[in-house]
Amino acid sequence: MAHGNETVRNPGPLKVDSSTTMIFTVLAVVGLGGLAAGIMANAERGWTSLLFNHFFFMSLALGGLFICAIQYATSAMWSAPVRRLAESFSAYLPVVLISFLVIAFAGVPHLFVWANPEHVKGDVILEHKAGYLNFTFFLVRNLVAIGLWFFFKAKLVGNSVAQDKDGDIVHTNRNKILAPMFLIVFALSFTMSAIDLLMSLDPHWFSTMFGVYAFAGLFTSSLAMMTIFTIVLRRNGMLKDIVNDNHLHDCGKFMFAFTIFWAYIAFSQFMLIWYANLPEETMYFMHRFVSEPGTAVSWKMVSAFLLVGKFMVPFFALLPRDAKRSESRLMKVAIWMLFAQWIDLIWIVQPEFFKAGPRIGWIEVAGLLGFAGLFGLLTTRFLSKNNIVAIRDPKIVESVFHHHQ
Amino acid sequence: MGNSANKAPKLAGVVGFFDTPDALIAATKQIRGLNYESFDCFTPYPIHGLDKIQGLKRSPLPWITMTAGLTGFMCAILLQGWTSVINWPLNVGGKPMWSWPAFVPIFFELTVLFAGLCTVGGMFLLNGLPNTKKRSFDNNITRDRFALMIDAPNLKTADEIEEMDDGEIAKYKARLAKYKAFDEAEAKSILQGAGAKDVRSVEARGWFE
Repeated sequence: MAHGNETVRNPGPLKVDSSTTMIFTVLAVVGLGGLAAGIMANAERGWTSLLFNHFFFMSLALGGLFICAIQYATSAMWSAPVRRLAESFSAYLPVVLISFLVIAFAGVPHLFVWANPEHVKGDVILEHKAGYLNFTFFLVRNLVAIGLWFFFKAKLVGNSVAQDKDGDIVHTNRNKILAPMFLIVFALSFTMSAIDLLMSLDPHWFSTMFGVYAFAGLFTSSLAMMTIFTIVLRRNGMLKDIVNDNHLHDCGKFMFAFTIFWAYIAFSQFMLIWYANLPEETMYFMHRFVSEPGTAVSWKMVSAFLLVGKFMVPFFALLPRDAKRSESRLMKVAIWMLFAQWIDLIWIVQPEFFKAGPRIGWIEVAGLLGFAGLFGLLTTRFLSKNNIVAIRDPKIVESVFHHHQ
Repeated sequence: MGNSANKAPKLAGVVGFFDTPDALIAATKQIRGLNYESFDCFTPYPIHGLDKIQGLKRSPLPWITMTAGLTGFMCAILLQGWTSVINWPLNVGGKPMWSWPAFVPIFFELTVLFAGLCTVGGMFLLNGLPNTKKRSFDNNITRDRFALMIDAPNLKTADEIEEMDDGEIAKYKARLAKYKAFDEAEAKSILQGAGAKDVRSVEARGWFE
């Protein structure tokens, strides 16, 4: 049990071979080119694809920062070897800014009916909401939110990276003060972002649980992505002797717990609206349970998919202890959870435009691949510039050598 | 003392005391290799990994929890379905009789209730608790000492063996042959050799003796 003599091998920065960079670059160019072509070909489908894919990867970037912040806020020991991987997601934030600006300056007329004065005129409810739902305020408050995310990313991730060089405890202490501040800012700003970008697609409808619903998706998908990064780096040997099965087990427990959390939030939002049966609230679920005829897959099937695919499949797949300690099982479930989150965002966005059923074709996939390419490029670039493990974190030795579940 | 006073005290086993968890772990590895039928470690706080070193298997408790949880879930379906759909159909707000979303909170509650109670009950059962036939042999094992006890096997007396049939005797002998034979003096010297600071024999005494 003697501490002190043990040292953690420094795996150093990630060596990204040119073929990986090539694949991500091709994905980004082809995907975003396809998305642009999609917007030309079919404005509604193109812009909705940009919107939910933007939100999907924005959730990952913010989720990485959120995971980093909770480790500091709770002085967590277990996560020291994997925290840097979550931090790397925040390298995607510049793309969040750019794609938000594209949505704001070119996409708003196609996406948000509240931005159309003709539509608002004469609609008493929308006229009353215009104090909040107007373009200028929309732009300003979202830019302020993104600015705050950049600020906390620079501080939290900056301190963590700086500690790799000097090993000074002061960086940890600073982050312990910054982390709770970020968590408050995050809760408010992400709720606002979810309301603005997703809930306001139907400006008549409102749900006080919408922010936490979006957060449940953010956290499950970010944990899944962090687990995928961990397993990939473990498989190529970079995290050998650093990340053991107990760390994997913890990632699995987190994914399992927040799968249940999502189900709890999703059902709570649904049940209250279903029970009260007020027309202005129930129409959200009417659009998602009752489809106009016209497509092979109806919205009701997608709703059923969410119950089964986003809750039951990960729940039972991660229920046994051995499943959470198995690399291959965790990898499959993590990829599945990301897929389910993508479908969930389609389920939130598309019924406001396409009443018959989901439209999933090259326009939607192009948006996913394009942003995925950028996400891959930026995160691997971050990891190739910094150590992939926070090697001089005060908890790292304890976590690597003495972490037992 | 009661009626056990006139009997010779029965040997429960031999216990060795250690000052540090490291010493206990080293001794445990050694004793486990000797293949005694039964031994156990006593520590004032949990020592991570000790269960593995002792060779303890994982508990079947999760299966009890799972079964109980599913039973609770089914009970909740039957309870609510029968009361508000079949036996006394109740119209609430014009919704269909089988309005399952309204029943989900109870599905959840009964699942958790059954699973929780059965987990606690199953834990007691699997641990053989409460066990009034054993009592703490040294209060220091809850404070600052680490102990390892080699249990004396449950041997049959000559009278008991005489009453057994051939099958039972064969089974009994096979059980004894599987493990290292227990000898009080030998076990004591093994514990001393494994680094125990203090070695003692323990009498089998229950709570009320």
